[in-house]
Amino acid sequence: MKYLSLIWDGIWRKRGRAILTGLQVLVAFVLFGLLQGMKSGIDDAIDKIGADLYIVQHATGFSPMPLAMYSRLVAVPGVRAAAYESFLAGTYQKPTQHVLAVACDQDSISATIPHGAIVPPAAVDAMKRTRSGVLVSESLARKYGWKTGDRIPLETSVLRQDGSLTWTFDMVGTFVPGEQSLSPDFMIINYTSFDEARTVDRGTVAMYYVRVTDPKQGLAVAQAIDKLFLNSSDETRTESARESIQATLESLGDMDFVVRAIVGAVLFALLFSITAMMMQSIRERTAELALLKTLGFSDGKLFWIVLCEVLTLCIVAAALGLALATWVLPTARHFTNINVTMPASVVLAGLGLAALLAVVTAAVPARRLQVVDALAGR
Amino acid sequence: MTPSVALVGVSKEYLRGRESVLVLSDFNLEIPQQDFVAIMGPSGSGKTTLLNLIGGLDKPSSGQIYVAGERIDTLSNTALAHWRARHVGFIFQFYNLMPTLSAARNVELPLLLTSLSGRERKQKVAVALDLVGLTDRAKHKPGELSGGQQQRVAIARALIADPTLLVCDEPTGDLDRHTAEEILSLLQILNRQYAKTVIMVTHDPKAASYAARQLHVDKGQLVNDAVAVSA
Repeated sequence: MKYLSLIWDGIWRKRGRAILTGLQVLVAFVLFGLLQGMKSGIDDAIDKIGADLYIVQHATGFSPMPLAMYSRLVAVPGVRAAAYESFLAGTYQKPTQHVLAVACDQDSISATIPHGAIVPPAAVDAMKRTRSGVLVSESLARKYGWKTGDRIPLETSVLRQDGSLTWTFDMVGTFVPGEQSLSPDFMIINYTSFDEARTVDRGTVAMYYVRVTDPKQGLAVAQAIDKLFLNSSDETRTESARESIQATLESLGDMDFVVRAIVGAVLFALLFSITAMMMQSIRERTAELALLKTLGFSDGKLFWIVLCEVLTLCIVAAALGLALATWVLPTARHFTNINVTMPASVVLAGLGLAALLAVVTAAVPARRLQVVDALAGR
Repeated sequence: MTPSVALVGVSKEYLRGRESVLVLSDFNLEIPQQDFVAIMGPSGSGKTTLLNLIGGLDKPSSGQIYVAGERIDTLSNTALAHWRARHVGFIFQFYNLMPTLSAARNVELPLLLTSLSGRERKQKVAVALDLVGLTDRAKHKPGELSGGQQQRVAIARALIADPTLLVCDEPTGDLDRHTAEEILSLLQILNRQYAKTVIMVTHDPKAASYAARQLHVDKGQLVNDAVAVSA
């Protein structure tokens, strides 16, 4: 504490430079927070998907499968529960306002399907009573200002039995997507009424979800399912939901590498720039540091004083940057449609990184000072 | 009585590029306690090097240095730093004050290395500033003080840890005649009334006349050692 005034004066002796350096660190850590937060948020969401959840798709990957498979699936030994869903993609009012409707059996919304985790029982009951009912995720309802009782028309490419491409639903409630749901903006409709109203692919589903009794036996159960439909027109490919989503994300590119490369480059550049700033600051203060040594301050004590200056600057600026990133990250889903919040581990890692940055940048300029030379201005 | 400072066969050489330069050669000197010594000599004669060795800022190439009976040339850099903090007060030609700190904070610096509480440090700073007549300037920064006032702050800082030895390198070199005389009188008071051993390097014979003893150094050798007629 008694060195506080020395440290404080050291930081602010060039106010403009201190502010610019702080801003540099702040911006770098906003970027770090956003990229790392996005990546960790997705990893967290994937981790939260239960190990017992498996996805059954057509072997081709995109063909629909008959609904009749459901009863055979639930009869496979090791299967605890199964559910199915189909999709209706449409637009609301403008061609650019895309909305995804998930058609499923209402009894399995909360229990089996991973992304509709928190649905109030009253809303499920309302869906059962209303064939044209729709449950809308809270964020999607907010986005378009929808409320319970509203009629929501969607323009689609799926032809209805009545010859129309417009599907109109009655909003009966909202739900909160589960934490493991990557996309927060979607709606849930009744599979039965959807299937009855459409003209194509009737009696089929896009995919099945299967919960296995023992996750350790999951692979064997998946193999048993695939074996059951082998050599039929509806051959299946069953895989862990976690691995399936991971594979989908990996197909977009090596996100890990991209994030590490960008963050690495930014921090490396920051390391050079702060080291240069500190070296310049120390050079300007050579005579003052020599004086402190003359008065009896040891090399170690001077190093700690310089380190505390850089630490304070880096930690405060990085904390502000990470706070800004934490605040901004949830709004990033407007652009990415990915539902993420800043994990605490990223904030801690960021602060740790800022401390490491400070130690490295302070170690370079705080080399041993020859007091006689420094006092003589050499 | 143990001498305040004793140099025994001290030599000091520096490397300038590849060339070795002998600055002090087989130098022997004894300064009794409570003495006021002026070291004079032409530029490059080795007087500042001598002062740096006595003050523990540098180490000799050979020979032994004792201050208050303690051999200091064998101390490690860290031990020497601690020793300086306890035993030596430094006064420089250009004051060497921290420009961003107030006069009081500058004076307080040596006390930061002690275990004194903030309150005790504050009390000691007030006493030291009062001694040099700058109580009303405690909150002023060096840039807001005259040269003479800055040197008084430097003297208060040199005194604050109550060292037995004051090492002064051209303390009046940057001051006008009148202010210089005030500073020299202050040093004389510190020597006579507060029993401090004062060793001062100066070019100025008038300043040297304030000392009780004058040493003349040339080419790294002690060429004359005389008792001065006090000013």
